[in-house]
Amino acid sequence: MPALTDLTLDVKPGEIFGFLGPNGAGKSTTIRTLLGFLHPTSGAATVLGRDVESESVDIRRLTGYLPGGIALYDSLTGEGALDYLGDLQGREPHRRAELCERLELSTAVLKRRVRDYSHGMRQKIGVVQALQHDPELAILDEPSEGLDPLMQQAFYRILDDLRSQGRTVFFSSHILSEVERLCDRVAIIRAGHLMAIHDVTELLARRRRRVMIRWRGGAPDPASLPGLEDVQVHGNRVHGTLTGAVAEFVRAIASPSLEDLTIEPASLEEVFLEYYADPDASPEAAARPAAGS
Amino acid sequence: MLGPVFYTAFSDVVGQLAQSGPLMERLTNFGSGSLFNLPDAFTLGMQHPLALAMVGVFAVGATSTAVAGERQRGTLEILLARPISRVGLYASIAVALMVPVLLVMSAIMGGFALSAALLGVADELEPAQMPLVVLNGFLLWAAFATFGLAASVTFDRAAPAIALSLAYLIVNYFLEILGSLWTEVAWSQEYSLFHHFQPGDILRGDAAPLDFVIVGLAALIPVVYAVIVFPRRDLAAPA
Repeated sequence: MPALTDLTLDVKPGEIFGFLGPNGAGKSTTIRTLLGFLHPTSGAATVLGRDVESESVDIRRLTGYLPGGIALYDSLTGEGALDYLGDLQGREPHRRAELCERLELSTAVLKRRVRDYSHGMRQKIGVVQALQHDPELAILDEPSEGLDPLMQQAFYRILDDLRSQGRTVFFSSHILSEVERLCDRVAIIRAGHLMAIHDVTELLARRRRRVMIRWRGGAPDPASLPGLEDVQVHGNRVHGTLTGAVAEFVRAIASPSLEDLTIEPASLEEVFLEYYADPDASPEAAARPAAGS
Repeated sequence: MLGPVFYTAFSDVVGQLAQSGPLMERLTNFGSGSLFNLPDAFTLGMQHPLALAMVGVFAVGATSTAVAGERQRGTLEILLARPISRVGLYASIAVALMVPVLLVMSAIMGGFALSAALLGVADELEPAQMPLVVLNGFLLWAAFATFGLAASVTFDRAAPAIALSLAYLIVNYFLEILGSLWTEVAWSQEYSLFHHFQPGDILRGDAAPLDFVIVGLAALIPVVYAVIVFPRRDLAAPA
């Protein structure tokens, strides 16, 4: 059974690209294929213009990779692990000091053996080893896993800085809030199929919103409310789901009798759950909005 | 270093023992070695289970866990995320493991020669042949080491790689010892790599080139296998 089928992605230089999907969807398989750990049975991929099959070593020279559930050499100190992996990378780890400072990895902590580290500490070392040589492309597999909320924020700021410096970040996640916070574009994958690729801003703009309107006197005819679906009328209140443009909707309902208006955006999570929830959804149909993919 | 000590201390006694009957004669020719002369005492020392255990732990234990162990621990992933080809990684590991094997063989030969000199029996050894003994011994253990490494690049877990490598070593050892103790199956020795490490013959100036070729090929074939198979293996995410 193929782990990935008909997966076509195009990540633009300088963007943070989120790769989303439930466990077992094929996120790590995709990343491992891009890095040459797995060999595709068909198809082709290039990373930074290099073929993943024939120029894999070159790709890994230019990338930084954080594996999911990173394993490090327990007998080494944190500093020793970073030195060892930095030497193998063959590029000066000139961002290490800055990254360690931002992730609160003190000299004393780095002198301790990895076996004494908590999961979160290991993850921080993982982040530093992936980025210390200032790679052109960072491939991060569930990077914030194990980081406490403060460190997650510090990590997000690091990624923001990478983007502002023109670096490209490709990361997999199932934490939608961080995708919403960080990503320029996201791809959604399920059961090895690409379901969709979206600009996050576009996705957020297109998402459904829960609407509650209250009028003085009776509610108007629901049919006169543009873009409102699933309408329920309770006396002078109307509940519904807004799928169209907000401005147009607000203009349409504006009247002296309007007493209260609440518009709650659906979370990105709800948007993605639409893709995850229906096991019979056609990937082709779902992928239709993925223009430019 | 104990080989010459046992040889000088027990050679006569063992010789008399061997003449006491056919069974004792077989038992006093353990493997391809014996205590009847110094070169064969060296062979005996190299085939002693203790020597086998000491060299085998490294040549089999370290090699069979070298890659499979990294894979099992999950550290292979972060290693291969560096700009290192799999062949390059394999070659680095192979060299790192072969150099100690060569050093151990050199140390064993050097210790044996030193001990023989101290006990005044060095004239029974031909110094010019000693590098050939080291080479023959190195190729023998390199054969087991490269087999272990080939097993290591094949499996995702260390246990099957260790088991297969150890089985290979034991079968080879069994064939050699069985043939030496039981004349009807003496042919089995020919199928053992240990039988193609004959320091006694080499030290007497009777080196058989075919022995070098056989252990050399046995060392080379797993290398070829590993260099073909390892780069093509799919390394899925660690469980």
